[in-house]
Amino acid sequence: MTLTDTTPAPPAARTRSARKRLVPYWLLLPGVLWLLVFFALPMVYQASTSVQTGTLEQGFRVTWHVATYWEALAEYWPQFVRSLVYAGTATFLCLLLGYPLAYLIAFRAGRWRNLLLVLVVAPFFTSFLIRTLAWKTILADGGALVGALDALHVLDVTNWLGWTQGDRVLATPMAVVCGLTYNFLPFMILPLYTSLERIDGRLHEAAKDLYASPATTFRKVTFPLSMPGVVSGTLLTFIPASGDYVNAELLGSTDTKMVGNVIQSQFLRVLDYPTAAALSFILMAVVLLMVTVYIRRAGTEDLV
Amino acid sequence: MTDSTHTGGDVRLSGISKSYGSFTAVHPLDLTVPQGSFFALLGASGCGKTTTLRMIAGLEEPTTGTVFLGDRDVTDLPPYKRPVNTVFQSYALFPHLNIYENIAFGLRRRGITSVKKQVGEMLDLVQLGDKASHKPHQLSGGQQQRVAVARALINHPQVLLLDEPLGALDLKLRRRMQLELKRIQTEVGITFVHVTHDQEEAMTMADTVAVMNGGRVEQLGAPADLYENPRTTFVANFLGTSNLIEAEVVEAASDVVVTAGGGTLRLPANRCSAPTTTGGRLLVGVRPEKITLAHADDAGAIAGGRNRVTGRIVDTSFIGVSTQYVVDSPAGAALQVYEQNIERDSRLAPGAEVVLHWNPAHTFGLDAAQSVLAGTVGDAGLDEAEDAA
Repeated sequence: MTLTDTTPAPPAARTRSARKRLVPYWLLLPGVLWLLVFFALPMVYQASTSVQTGTLEQGFRVTWHVATYWEALAEYWPQFVRSLVYAGTATFLCLLLGYPLAYLIAFRAGRWRNLLLVLVVAPFFTSFLIRTLAWKTILADGGALVGALDALHVLDVTNWLGWTQGDRVLATPMAVVCGLTYNFLPFMILPLYTSLERIDGRLHEAAKDLYASPATTFRKVTFPLSMPGVVSGTLLTFIPASGDYVNAELLGSTDTKMVGNVIQSQFLRVLDYPTAAALSFILMAVVLLMVTVYIRRAGTEDLV
Repeated sequence: MTDSTHTGGDVRLSGISKSYGSFTAVHPLDLTVPQGSFFALLGASGCGKTTTLRMIAGLEEPTTGTVFLGDRDVTDLPPYKRPVNTVFQSYALFPHLNIYENIAFGLRRRGITSVKKQVGEMLDLVQLGDKASHKPHQLSGGQQQRVAVARALINHPQVLLLDEPLGALDLKLRRRMQLELKRIQTEVGITFVHVTHDQEEAMTMADTVAVMNGGRVEQLGAPADLYENPRTTFVANFLGTSNLIEAEVVEAASDVVVTAGGGTLRLPANRCSAPTTTGGRLLVGVRPEKITLAHADDAGAIAGGRNRVTGRIVDTSFIGVSTQYVVDSPAGAALQVYEQNIERDSRLAPGAEVVLHWNPAHTFGLDAAQSVLAGTVGDAGLDEAEDAA
């Protein structure tokens, strides 16, 4: 503001500058409204549901029955642990599969780079559900893949680990984790690619010049610098995977139910709304806590 | 290349070249950088100087030829196994490490765990002791540059390679860093190979300068020698400014006599880099500051035996310590003259008739087959090279 106080600005100029100051708020408005209507209000509604008691016939009333949380946790903790383990395993597998691919696209793909990126995103052109159903065929009993795994005695190992049962892969933990890994892989690759691609190639040369072998260069320079991508990729994979229920529903069995399946059935089949709402909040709180600790430990503030 | 007498720490390039497809960045090149010297590779961008440097560092694989460090053939060694370190143009400091760890990087990679004393000494050498725990982005350009030097020097390389390390700094800081680098080099006694496009930088810092153009070394020598005795028009124009006059040889003895624009000029035969035959053509050069400017009315007072050219001032510009004149004459258009501002002759204004005169010993002769404009700003040859780069 360069206006001086001795000469009041002409009214037109004043309203124009006032309008200018309002511009950011106008820009924020649609997003804020959206979040208010479709996020904040449902959250409040769900919070209230979680402390209600009653039945569908008599109606639910807020009675501040907090015990629902303990009861839900006491009954469904196995599904909780399973969700976190499955999501964690899938995230780890995504990182293992996604990192080399992202690295290749960022540093070695040359003119194929854009094509490869399109291919990473290409599965999104098909519906999530159909892609997951396709895995049913891929992992079908007596199918080519399962047959091959059996012949190579891979199934013996996974049976021993408890990941598969007998000569089946479908309806086992492995099937669910495979589905999760497959479905969330692009969410790992894209942030990894973005942060790898931003690394100045001259830093690799500098490391090599300073006696770092290619492996050491990766360990001491490339990987630390790609941490922002690792962090955002793992979060984008882990958070939705821990709440996912489609993979466990379509590829799993009753023994592989995740917390998402429990919430879904409580809401839609058992019609126990308070328990379903309480479970949702517990999941949210657990994930939030884990994410906070994780980001703190990763310490990537300096790299952004 | 079997001669191995006292070449202890020299850098020797033998027949080294680099091509990218059909483009040749560096033509087969032989070059020896003596141990302990400050050597500059000077040229415009795209002349192959950085490629040459990167081949010494191992970051670029030569198409042909051999790189020797002392007697050791290092051509096939990867960069991390060469006792050579580089100061990169962009510094390339590791953004995730603090200054201390950046400087310690090379030592740690070689398995040295107690680095504290050496890093401390290096921080003192580059006067950044209080910045050890800072991250690179918290430092100014000049400070980052010093970290880059320290990070390379701490490894006591046989050769330190500097790739336009001062290019990103402003003029004043650049002058200070030039002195600083020169001081460090004298102090540690390591061979420095410095790549630059700044002729002043090359001349103030280096013991030996190799002027490169189009992937070839045009001329190599001490800065004063290159400046006083350029052997090509490129060197004459790229290092400082030269007045080049096309002339015809009328007498070729121990003194060469030529005519240009109706006047006669003399120069010592040993200052001609091209063969002179009577009737042949020759480019006669003289540096602007060697010329004295006299008003035409005072022409009689000029001592005998000096080269003279008459002309008319078309432009003057006052620089402070000197005044630069542009003079058109029958011998050549737009001749440059730099006169120290000791006693200014007020008659020397645009339009004035003047006589330029200089000591014939300050004249040099070049092969007339070359482009007179090679190495000047906006020269077609340079643009072409930049496109290719």
